[in-house]
Amino acid sequence: MKAHWTIAGKECVQMLRSQRGLWWLLALTSVLSAFSFLLVSNTELSLLDNAQVVYMMAGTVLAAGALLAAIMGSDAYAGENERGTLIPLLCAPVASSDLLIGKTMGLLAAWGLLLTVATPYLWAIGASGQNLWEAWFYLTLFGTPVVLGVGCLAMALSARTGSVLASLLSTTILLMLAASPLLIGPGLRGTAIGRALDAINPLAAALNTFDSVIIDSEPFSAQVTRLLLVAAWLGLCFMLSRQSAANIHFNTGKIS
Amino acid sequence: MIDIENLRLSIDGKEILRGIDLHLQPGDVYGLLGPNGAGKSTTLFALLGLCAYASGRVVVLGGDPAQDAASIRRYVGVMPEKAGFYDWMSATAYLKWYARLYGCAQNDQGRARLLEKVGLGTEAHRRIGTFSRGMKQRLAVARALMPNPKLLILDEPTNGLDPKGRRRIHDLLVEFAAVGKAGVLLCTHLLDDVDRLCNRIGIISNGFTRFEGSLSGLMGEQERRRHYRLRLEAAPDADNLPTGVTVLGPEGGWWRVQLRDRATEAPSAIWGALWHRGWRILEIRAEALSLEQIYMRHTGQEHAYAKEVAK
Repeated sequence: MKAHWTIAGKECVQMLRSQRGLWWLLALTSVLSAFSFLLVSNTELSLLDNAQVVYMMAGTVLAAGALLAAIMGSDAYAGENERGTLIPLLCAPVASSDLLIGKTMGLLAAWGLLLTVATPYLWAIGASGQNLWEAWFYLTLFGTPVVLGVGCLAMALSARTGSVLASLLSTTILLMLAASPLLIGPGLRGTAIGRALDAINPLAAALNTFDSVIIDSEPFSAQVTRLLLVAAWLGLCFMLSRQSAANIHFNTGKIS
Repeated sequence: MIDIENLRLSIDGKEILRGIDLHLQPGDVYGLLGPNGAGKSTTLFALLGLCAYASGRVVVLGGDPAQDAASIRRYVGVMPEKAGFYDWMSATAYLKWYARLYGCAQNDQGRARLLEKVGLGTEAHRRIGTFSRGMKQRLAVARALMPNPKLLILDEPTNGLDPKGRRRIHDLLVEFAAVGKAGVLLCTHLLDDVDRLCNRIGIISNGFTRFEGSLSGLMGEQERRRHYRLRLEAAPDADNLPTGVTVLGPEGGWWRVQLRDRATEAPSAIWGALWHRGWRILEIRAEALSLEQIYMRHTGQEHAYAKEVAK
């Protein structure tokens, strides 16, 4: 078996077997449950159009996925280093690219698990309306490169700095910066600066696509430019992580 | 198996290794000694291809770690000083997973035998998170032995173990080395480990190799130097000494002195000279140098007092 499959296998099992993984799963399902409950029970939110509700849920799942990727990516090298499990990995006959691919496959599996967990929630809040299938399809198509890109960026910082905290803080700040034009509202997004930010912001590209296909029912051909943007984002982040993974910051220390 | 000559290495602009020599042949159990921060672990990382070196010659198992790190590591079992594990795995599951990284097809019996050897036979299916520090240390030794390596590298393998645990690790290493085809590089600051296990040693300090050679040769050479303990009536005048005498310092009511290798005078003449300089000697005892004293000398820690006196 190739080393990256061995590492990916460990990452997947760790997610389901370790206490940390189970807590994260529980936290994510709690967030999705609370949000779904609000959407159906809150007086104002329950008056929203069904497509609007599905759009909001898809955005929440994407945000949760990006946050999960930031946490997992930050932990990928620096966390292992802090727990003393990185050096045994580096001492084994594993190429740095195999280690990176294995970790990225683990991220992909975590995103897959989150999508699986989110599917019944999407169905529960949007089954009675239109475009549920489109929501799920575009969440997978755009969410995967955005989430993996965030994870790869966090891994690059994690490998470079050797600190979970530094990597997590940096990635979260970048995520917040990416989300800020969206949170500020349509006023800013309508300006030239807002449009320019939208054109290079992968998170905005994904959310605008959800808006376009779920609410406005636009076809796939209208999403190609945005798809290219998120693919470029993934490519750039993967290149960065590959560069950092070849020069991992690790330290020696006492047995943990 | 390992040929390192004049290895120099810098990390973040700071020169960590400034001239390391290390030669290990098949069948050798080589003790790499040095104080904390001397560059022992960095040397190990360099020979595994984990740290890029600036200059020098490094050959491990016939290859250059800078070029063929992954293929060299396939034949090297390593127990790093920071021996972490995935706490949620059992010992046997961890070894099975780690063996896959080496491409080893070790069966359940082989794993059970290995765990039995390190004294974890009954704990094989217990979660590693519940292991004590000593048990983790023994599991780390099992992990290093697992790929049946040609070269075994152990960084502080008995650090923090109780005497029984240390003995068990010693026995394992003796058994592994007895086969004669593999080499063992033992990085430690526990001189008892070196005394018991190693046939060759290297002492490094401040990034330099201070000594490299066979342990028996080193001990024999040191015996030719003359060390004495003197019981004195009062503290001596250490500034006024005859040629060839170095005061190493007071210790437990005695004063330790060294007579230089090529001191022309017989010891009795030197004691006479010291008496005339006011040294009221009550008793004289010759002493054999221990490995610890040799280590202290090569790492520059023994002469701290002598330097102070010289000032």
